[in-house]
Amino acid sequence: MPRGRIRTRFDRLLLALLLVSTFSWAQSAGPNSGDHDQETITQLVEQIKQLQQQDHDLEERIKNLEAKQPQASPASGADSSLPAPSPQVAEQTPPPPLPTAPPRDWHDVRGIKWRGFGEVDYQALDQRRPELGTYGFVPGSAANFYTGDFGLFLTSRLSNRTSVLSEIVFEERDAQRYDIDLRRMLLKYEYNDHLKMSFGRYQTSIGYYNWAFLSAAWLQTTADRPLIMEYSSNGGLLPTQAIGVSATGSILSGKLGLNYVAEYGSSDTKRPDINGDGLVNDENNGNQVNVGLYLRPDAVRGLQIGSSYYHDKISNLIQGPSLRYGQSIVNGYVVYVGHGIEFLNEGFLIRDAPLHSSDTLFNTPAFYSQFSKQIGHLRPFVRYQYVNASPNDSIYNDVGLRFGPSFGARYDLNDYIAFKAQLDHTVRRGEPDLNGLHLQLAFAF
Amino acid sequence: MGIKSITTLLLLGLAIFSLNPQAMAQSSDIAVVVSPDNPATNVSLGDLRKTFVGAKHSWPGGQAIKLITRGPGCPERVVLLKLLAMSESEYKQYWTAQVFRGEADAEPLTVPSVGMQKEAMRLFPGAVSLVNARDVKPGMKVIKVDGLLPGAAGYALR
Repeated sequence: MPRGRIRTRFDRLLLALLLVSTFSWAQSAGPNSGDHDQETITQLVEQIKQLQQQDHDLEERIKNLEAKQPQASPASGADSSLPAPSPQVAEQTPPPPLPTAPPRDWHDVRGIKWRGFGEVDYQALDQRRPELGTYGFVPGSAANFYTGDFGLFLTSRLSNRTSVLSEIVFEERDAQRYDIDLRRMLLKYEYNDHLKMSFGRYQTSIGYYNWAFLSAAWLQTTADRPLIMEYSSNGGLLPTQAIGVSATGSILSGKLGLNYVAEYGSSDTKRPDINGDGLVNDENNGNQVNVGLYLRPDAVRGLQIGSSYYHDKISNLIQGPSLRYGQSIVNGYVVYVGHGIEFLNEGFLIRDAPLHSSDTLFNTPAFYSQFSKQIGHLRPFVRYQYVNASPNDSIYNDVGLRFGPSFGARYDLNDYIAFKAQLDHTVRRGEPDLNGLHLQLAFAF
Repeated sequence: MGIKSITTLLLLGLAIFSLNPQAMAQSSDIAVVVSPDNPATNVSLGDLRKTFVGAKHSWPGGQAIKLITRGPGCPERVVLLKLLAMSESEYKQYWTAQVFRGEADAEPLTVPSVGMQKEAMRLFPGAVSLVNARDVKPGMKVIKVDGLLPGAAGYALR
């Protein structure tokens, strides 16, 4: 068939597509169909692009076939048990490899992939006595803007089974000074689905939140992390980072979907007190062990139930390096993420037991529960959190008892930019309640 | 009515049909295709779902899985989103999150044509993709889903 004729037919097809697109769009236009129309138009434009691409592919094929017509060979290679292909396909001889350029992201076999994330925040807090400011928030101010964490995320595949990941975070501190923190740096090795190992600095898998929500605020529904899951460098109670080795994978368990995680490393947590006393405690950790199991049953997609146990030996350097504690952290969680619903429930018990004295051991219970539902681009959420540290606990006495709700909503401006508005009410033991407003523009790129 | 008019009408009909991804998906089953060298012959629907959400990283033989997908609006994409019970937006956000979590090196490779799907099968031995059964090409090996091939009664991907 002459190429000019084929070209004319494809031109007609494209014209027909455009006409029908316009007709379909006009027909479906209604008072409440704006979003649907936009989606339809996007899909139509995508399909036209694909047809143009196919047109281009076909032209290339014709060019190649014309050049090699005498050497054409019969089709082979397809599964013979397949239903009969359409006559058009069946009659085609296998075309030579198309001289098309690889898509842009085929370079992921080698090379470095860069991504990033950031946030711009505005926070107001009615505190009378300034507490610890984090992410650039100035404690005691009426309200201020800050940029929180800005991160560069790099991955590179070294071979089929090994890859490198790093997360470099520029974290705003007081007076718009930025600290650089290598939050994660991992050499990863995947033997199979049952054994995936990582070596380097990792985010500990204590509970669900620390695994699911990393430094990027864009990942989170809420504007901030629950206090119990806050990074320890920002006054959080848990050792959120460690350097060492981590292994994870699935366990043969059929439809139960059982998985494990095991970590051995050095945390070396340095934690500032959050009550504004200006003290910073270097916990001078030993080597930590963290093991956990979680289920993702096939029967209820989106459900994850898990538990973990962490143990380490820590100091309270404010009291003196000789005072050592055995620290155990037990966690349990039930999480459901699916069908637009996010329902997170996690509980913790932090137990600090003096190693070489008969002093009292301290138990610090904590939990948070968070529920949100996607409604179009909007995701309203509610969260309740609770932490109860003994006033006599020399490690967490700055935290004391804190509990209260947070309300708000996340609005996805597009797939990579979200605006969040959050109201917080925090009750504190022996201190006035705190009320806060937190606005955030979070993005990933 | 001349041949030209009939051809134009047929093309118009084809265009109308192709503009409705749902109708397209119903009209033809979507095949799960892998590289011809891949020993896999069958996959359960549950495992297929786990594969396309990145929960499974390797084939039973240890070969790393490489996900190849078609772009938004294609029948294959419609069936994929149905399989994962996600909207297009949820799908994009999910994969961005997976990458940030370190659970995946990259989002699934999206290609604009069946020809490029075939090329991907050749380039990546662990590749897996969804292809309209009518468009299956030599160089693509179709595997069963829950023991059924496209076209069989009860086939899940349509």
